[in-house]
Amino acid sequence: MITQEKYRTTVKELLANGSIKMAIGYRPGSTSDRRRPLFIRTSEEADQLVLDSTCITNLSGYLVTEGLLSDEKRVGIFLRPEGIRSINILAAEYQLNVDQIIIFGFDFTGREVRALQGQTTGDFSALLSEIRENPPLATKEPLLERIEKMNAKERFDFWQQEFSRCIKCYACRQACPMCYCRRCIVDSNQPQWVNTSSHTLGNFEWNVVRAFHLSGRCVQCGNCDRACPVNIPLRLINQRMAKEVVDGFDHFAGLSPTQEPVLASFKKDDTETFIL
Amino acid sequence: MSEPFEPKIVAFVCTYCTYAGADLAGTSRLKYAPNVRIVRLPCTGRISPMFILKALQKGADGVLVSGCHPGDCHFTHGNYHARRRWMVFRALLDFTGISPERVIFSWISAAEGSKFADLINSVTEDIRKLGPFDQYQQLIKETESPATL
Ligand code: SF4
Ligand code: SF4
Repeated sequence: MITQEKYRTTVKELLANGSIKMAIGYRPGSTSDRRRPLFIRTSEEADQLVLDSTCITNLSGYLVTEGLLSDEKRVGIFLRPEGIRSINILAAEYQLNVDQIIIFGFDFTGREVRALQGQTTGDFSALLSEIRENPPLATKEPLLERIEKMNAKERFDFWQQEFSRCIKCYACRQACPMCYCRRCIVDSNQPQWVNTSSHTLGNFEWNVVRAFHLSGRCVQCGNCDRACPVNIPLRLINQRMAKEVVDGFDHFAGLSPTQEPVLASFKKDDTETFIL
Repeated sequence: MSEPFEPKIVAFVCTYCTYAGADLAGTSRLKYAPNVRIVRLPCTGRISPMFILKALQKGADGVLVSGCHPGDCHFTHGNYHARRRWMVFRALLDFTGISPERVIFSWISAAEGSKFADLINSVTEDIRKLGPFDQYQQLIKETESPATL
């Protein structure tokens, strides 16, 4: 509550003195545990701002909305640490200029919301390094361990069952802040790489491609996982791939706005034990 | 009467090293398994993981990807980029149930004609032992569009 009030005041001040043209935050949704994005341009709108432990969505994807940042004015945004990481990745991929982003950082333990100190991505670098060293315990997934123990056949069956439910709504893509391509590979038809029908093969291909394109870029904010209407555990694939780039290339995505994207860079001595 | 299983393998190779190596194997009259269909590309950096998925989609039982040894790339570092991508993609396939034994990566230079022949033979044998990729073939069948390989 106190954090929410404090932030309402800050947003109003920054809007009034022209430091930001808009703030992106949360407002009440259709049920008490749901939140919707709120785009604050006036001080009345700032009064609708809500900040509590149900504000879990990573809002950073809204920043790459076409034209939003092209006037070079600043925009404020409410972000948890994952969100700050996605801003860094978007900046590293030249999708936005971090100088235009004012961060209202927050996080929560249980229901207790607290503000994070800082305003620009640089202010949070110590926090992000700390998260890298000690990832939150909540990320332990018993199901992931079960899959790791399966053989290839069992894994294929497991994922086939999961993916057979996919309806190709692409909500996972729309919800993901890292999926900003104007033309996604699944929408290309010359050539058509991925089967667009919603049969299991097409679903399998789509999900493999989605996960591959997010490898080393995903911050595990969980937007995709929550958006999926048929509850495919996308987080498991994301986690597995994040582990791969940390173990293989010592790459923790989103540490800084100048970090080189892991699949657009290389080291001459990268491991290659699997290459004959 | 059922015919014995002959694995279908698609090989994506770069034109400067592995394709030249395959050529050398041919001009040296080396015999190797006829199960491989070679697709030549300008560089390993051009070999998109989508190609691998496409080969499987068309009914391949195995895929081989090969190019110049590190340091030998005609475009200086296409293969370094490819190497990272392969590692990640391979892990992803493994995690989703496509055995790494079906998707093989190698470096073969223009001078390694015999390595090429040996590799094709051993990969063909390995995949013959694994058998047809039934699980994938089942999915292809459900799509009602034919596996054209
Ligand atoms: S893939 Fe999912 S968890 Fe990862 S950044 Fe995108 S929405 Fe977030
Ligand atoms: S959100 Fe779920 S159902 Fe929709 S395309 Fe993504 S995986 Fe498929």
